[in-house]
Amino acid sequence: MTRIITVTSGKGGVGKTTTSASFATGLAQRGFKTAVIDFDVGLRNLDLIMGCERRVVYDLINVINGEATLTQALIKDKHCDNLWVLPASQTRDKDALKEEGVEKVLAELTHQGFDYIVCDSPAGIEHGAVMALTFADEAVVVTNPEVSSVRDSDRILGILQAKSRRSIEGREPVKEHLLITRYNPGRVEAGEMLSYKDIQEILRVPIIGVVPESEDVLQASNQGAPVIHQKESDAALAYQDIIARFLGEEKPLRFVDYVKPGILKRLFGGK
Amino acid sequence: MTKDSPIAFKGTTLKIIHTLLSTADPAALHGALAELTGNSPDFFENELAVLDFSGAPALPEAVDWLAICALFRRSGLNAVATRGLPAAVAAAAAACGLPALAADALARPPRGAARAAEMTPGATPETPPATPCQAPPAAAQPAAAPVPAPARATVLDKPLRSGQRFYAQGGDLVVLAMVSAGAEVIADGNIHVYAPLRGRALAGAGGDPAARIFTTSLQAELVSIAGIYRTFEHGVPSDLAGRPAKIALADGGLSILPLALS
Repeated sequence: MTRIITVTSGKGGVGKTTTSASFATGLAQRGFKTAVIDFDVGLRNLDLIMGCERRVVYDLINVINGEATLTQALIKDKHCDNLWVLPASQTRDKDALKEEGVEKVLAELTHQGFDYIVCDSPAGIEHGAVMALTFADEAVVVTNPEVSSVRDSDRILGILQAKSRRSIEGREPVKEHLLITRYNPGRVEAGEMLSYKDIQEILRVPIIGVVPESEDVLQASNQGAPVIHQKESDAALAYQDIIARFLGEEKPLRFVDYVKPGILKRLFGGK
Repeated sequence: MTKDSPIAFKGTTLKIIHTLLSTADPAALHGALAELTGNSPDFFENELAVLDFSGAPALPEAVDWLAICALFRRSGLNAVATRGLPAAVAAAAAACGLPALAADALARPPRGAARAAEMTPGATPETPPATPCQAPPAAAQPAAAPVPAPARATVLDKPLRSGQRFYAQGGDLVVLAMVSAGAEVIADGNIHVYAPLRGRALAGAGGDPAARIFTTSLQAELVSIAGIYRTFEHGVPSDLAGRPAKIALADGGLSILPLALS
């Protein structure tokens, strides 16, 4: 059965698209047929992060308007089997995202036998973001360890509760996951950042993972390959753990404790 | 008059947004609405509205009512009636599904208590306050007659998130999950929050000075009873912060005291 996962946050720039790309890639690497859809109409980015921007011919809005078929618009990922990207339109207005149209596209993906559909939500709480979460079965709420991001995540959780089809139809509510990105244990230790425990205490949503702040993320974006591909990177390992937890495996949190960089540690590695 | 009639008429009181308009030009309204709401589709949460033109200068007879309705609907506001229109214009609106309200149908509650208090206390009921009204159709009373709601507690068991607001009309409110910073709980009676209260709590919103607020963890941004409020700019005092507390009106001021839980 197809599961629709919306990656959302309220606030912009916290790592939604990075997370959508790595999350979808991680699921595909585990053998699940996965589609990742960019809902950020007018500011499309996912194709850049996925490295398929030069192969975009048709987009989500074309499919909604019946100007292209879904099969024409889906771009097969070049790094990974089982993964397809449905880009957003760069030229259209976000009002072109019609609810019936989105529903039709999701139904068709379901019909084509996709196991997971990852919806990369735009920032904000307006139409595009609401469309991205309307049909969600699960939501990954991306938060940075700072108060305004946490507040915005709280807001989007409320909207999820109010606007998702599952809530409106009184079905089992959308399953919520908290994903913290740009985590810097050293700055948490110094009291400059909220700790993941603080964030969880404020939001009261189960944590699916903590991704450490890492230069690899920016580098991966610029190279057009989701960071989860960079095997030795902490961020990639954190995303691998997140996929494992999402699929029901037990994994302790990593990269959340501050390790004082001592000379012996530097010489001998050691975790 | 049989007991198993497929229709049952009940009197009720609805919350309705009194929308004062000074023009019926859809384009002008569109601009003004966009400015007020930022075109947010959830600015209103599917609420009902009366379009009140009593303050408007002379209106043209041909008004595009459907466009106006569609305009408000995009912000989540559903127009259900008009008010204050000249007869000819009102008839045209009625033909588009917007009946005219009687001039006295909107009793204005005294302002200044809490904002969400849309109750109309003592608004001259033509009906004697009777037992919960299962009126037979024969008793064709105007539907706007306020029926005293039974004072029953409303129970919320999901967290109230930033930006959400809940109003327990006519009774107490019991919240079993947290009230986030930026969320607002309002009740005409008492408010009980058996979880962290981080947002705003307004008890006695209808003006009842005996209403109280109870919480197992006081971290509120604002508390208010019968319109007397207190903010916590520098946080809740440290002897009360995060602790069980009870809040009541005493000598015209708010008293916030620790609550002993045994």
